[in-house]
Amino acid sequence: MGKHIVSTVAVRMKGISKKFGGVQALDNVGFEVLAGEIHALLGGNGAGKSTILKVLNGVHAPSAGYIEVAGVPLTTHSPEASRAAGIAMNYQEMSLIPTLTVAQNVYLTREAKSGGLIDDSEAERDAAKLFAMLEVDVDPSAIVGDLGAGQKQLTEIVKAISQNARILVLDEPSTALAVSDVDRLFTFLRKLKKQGVAIIYVSHRMDEIARIADRATILRDGKHVITADIGDLPIDTMIEHIVGKRSLGLADVVRSEAIRGDIGLELRDVSGRNKPNNISLSIHKGEVVGLAGLLGSGRTSLAKLIAGIDPVASGEILVNDRAVNFRRPGDAIAAGVVLVPEARATQGIIASHSVTDNVILAGLDNLTSAGFVNAAKARAVTDAQIERLSIKTASRDHAVSTLSGGNQQKVVIGKWLAVDPDVLVLDEPTAGIDIGSKSEIIKLVRDLAASGKAILMISSELSELLTACDRIVVMADGRTYADFPRAALDDPAEENTDIAHRLQAAEQRLQISIQEALAAGQKDSHAQY
Amino acid sequence: MPNTDTNQLPGVLHAFLRDWRQNIIYIGFIAIFLIFALTLNDRGFLNPNNLLNIVRQTAMIAVMAIAMTFVLSAGEIDLSVGAVAGLASVTVALAVSFAGPFAGIIAGLATGIAVGVFNGWLTTKIGIPSFLTTLAMMGIAKGLAMWVSGTAAVPILSQGYIWWFGGGSIGPIPVLLFWILILGAVGHVVLRRTGFGRRVLATGGGEQAASYSGINTAKIKFRVLVISSTAAALAGMFYAGRLQSGRFQLGEGDELSVIAAAVLGGTSLFGGKGTVIGTLVGAMMIGLINNGLILMGLEFSQQLIARGGIIILAVALSQKRA
Repeated sequence: MGKHIVSTVAVRMKGISKKFGGVQALDNVGFEVLAGEIHALLGGNGAGKSTILKVLNGVHAPSAGYIEVAGVPLTTHSPEASRAAGIAMNYQEMSLIPTLTVAQNVYLTREAKSGGLIDDSEAERDAAKLFAMLEVDVDPSAIVGDLGAGQKQLTEIVKAISQNARILVLDEPSTALAVSDVDRLFTFLRKLKKQGVAIIYVSHRMDEIARIADRATILRDGKHVITADIGDLPIDTMIEHIVGKRSLGLADVVRSEAIRGDIGLELRDVSGRNKPNNISLSIHKGEVVGLAGLLGSGRTSLAKLIAGIDPVASGEILVNDRAVNFRRPGDAIAAGVVLVPEARATQGIIASHSVTDNVILAGLDNLTSAGFVNAAKARAVTDAQIERLSIKTASRDHAVSTLSGGNQQKVVIGKWLAVDPDVLVLDEPTAGIDIGSKSEIIKLVRDLAASGKAILMISSELSELLTACDRIVVMADGRTYADFPRAALDDPAEENTDIAHRLQAAEQRLQISIQEALAAGQKDSHAQY
Repeated sequence: MPNTDTNQLPGVLHAFLRDWRQNIIYIGFIAIFLIFALTLNDRGFLNPNNLLNIVRQTAMIAVMAIAMTFVLSAGEIDLSVGAVAGLASVTVALAVSFAGPFAGIIAGLATGIAVGVFNGWLTTKIGIPSFLTTLAMMGIAKGLAMWVSGTAAVPILSQGYIWWFGGGSIGPIPVLLFWILILGAVGHVVLRRTGFGRRVLATGGGEQAASYSGINTAKIKFRVLVISSTAAALAGMFYAGRLQSGRFQLGEGDELSVIAAAVLGGTSLFGGKGTVIGTLVGAMMIGLINNGLILMGLEFSQQLIARGGIIILAVALSQKRA
């Protein structure tokens, strides 16, 4: 940290606004990144981080405002123009070709030649020198597809640097990395910093940001909140700025008290092949349990174990007090356990098929006699779900792709309700859905719990978890770290303040717990080595 | 990513096992050769004439398979090669009889280039997957060949043409062997050591990453399809020379042997991985199997079954397990 001797501005963004249709994704955002600085960019979901990065690397043209790179205004907005100006962004391994070697990837389209022919051994020597200079330990002759996530990432960054990138944008670079790889990445970034590279570092892990960044800029709801030295931003201040004052919308969802029934789903010391590790958890009927944690904390892996998608390596899962052993999703569905998956478009719906075809898909056997689907029954089942979930669609025969995101998600939920499950696992059920539909989905989750289902809900939006759940379990690094009854996150001293304010206070408390879990998780994995 | 081996074998053993799978084609080739040499020696398998015949019979497959290696490496496929070979054999024969051998060569190559440009245009500009483009082209090329030739064989009388393209020998060595060696060497160097070859492998290995790296992937796909059709036309010219006539049936069904040869050799059907040398050995292995099965005295029906089984076995052994 400390003050920089060289403090030329590498990139300056001024008054950037961006509208998508009626939505103001960015509103007059501006900040500067200095050469030789690691600049953290922070904000909650929907704060505008990825939009501003996409403006910077030329994917989106700003509606207003301008960008200067090393004092020169960026006049055209295209990925090529940004790259030519020296802005490189990690595309999460998207710029590497898995079937080629590291050296071949680094010098792709700029191959070293001798006598008109490509000389791979020369490229490997050059790459080795480059890696040695940057103190990166990657074998230039290794096939990229065989590398671990950390080495792939380093390779990708080295490739960008070798193309004279002066501004490096890293979007959640540590998510896929093991702890030792994160340390290696940081050493490498400090090295680049010394060479005057400006680094924009986006992460949800505040302990990491405190370790690596020099300054931070925080965005909220598309607006610039603050840019300050990292020394002036303790973690709880950061969280306060990120969370801000919650706008209402979710807070008006009334949480009826759950009537807790018998245990619907119980996990005893369950581990997957990689993640999660040693999870013990029970969910009563009528109860919504939330899973909080960051990307890579093992929430989705846990959901996949429960739904029979990934195999359980050890431990025991009980559904309605009976031990189960799911080999495939069909087994789980038959036992009454269903998953509303994270990637709606690919895992949840078949977009080009009709609402009916999607809704009846899981319960096809019940609607079939002598091999033929009973069309009348199929219509009845679909209409019942359209009515129950108030799915807005022109007709049951319209393709699901014609529906809005929120209604598509309701189709997924309707598909499962049609087989009348006992346990529902919802993985980011409101991702990519507008705020109105979000509260509708949350209400629906409460209603389903009230009708006696046991529900496990994953969400990265803490305010959602706080609104929907009776208990919230915090995960990090594949383990559970804390289990809060919802009420424990409310401050009894603030009983009389308004709902939005209480939600905000609870969100800060939960956020702090997630960061603590993260720190504890890293300590644990360090201890393993 | 599937490649995170958690329970790694000791390094050397692991490397050997991996190489064993990668090199199965060479091991398999030698194994089959030895088996045939031991069991079929009394039926003349090792007779030099028999071995050179294998080369003559597989040359056309080999030439097409060299080009197919590029197509598959770029993540595309060309099902029209067999039919294009038949069409080219007819256009060559007609041009030779009307205007002489030189015109024949031009006509044959022009046929291949024209088909390739059309395939490439449909695939990259109109956006029809190459599987469908070339499936349709298979029928079109065969229909054209039947129409132009009136479904009759078109004889070639030019001895010069016949010597150069398929019929001739230098001493005991067939001219076709030289063609294979030259085309194989060129193909190998182009795929391994030129910017074009690297771009082909990159396009098939990760199209998005390739285009983010500044590669015009549509142009690469266009070019490999042109190369493939041109090679198919060349194979048709060899058929015409060897059989001293052009016929629409020549090359019929070859597309499957060609793809099998490339895949047996270690080229990935999913793109990004290809080896011309492996392809040549794969083609020779198919020729070897055909020859051995005939010498064993199997009926044609039995040969088909045995050949299919051997190919499945070889490809199954070469698959990397998760």
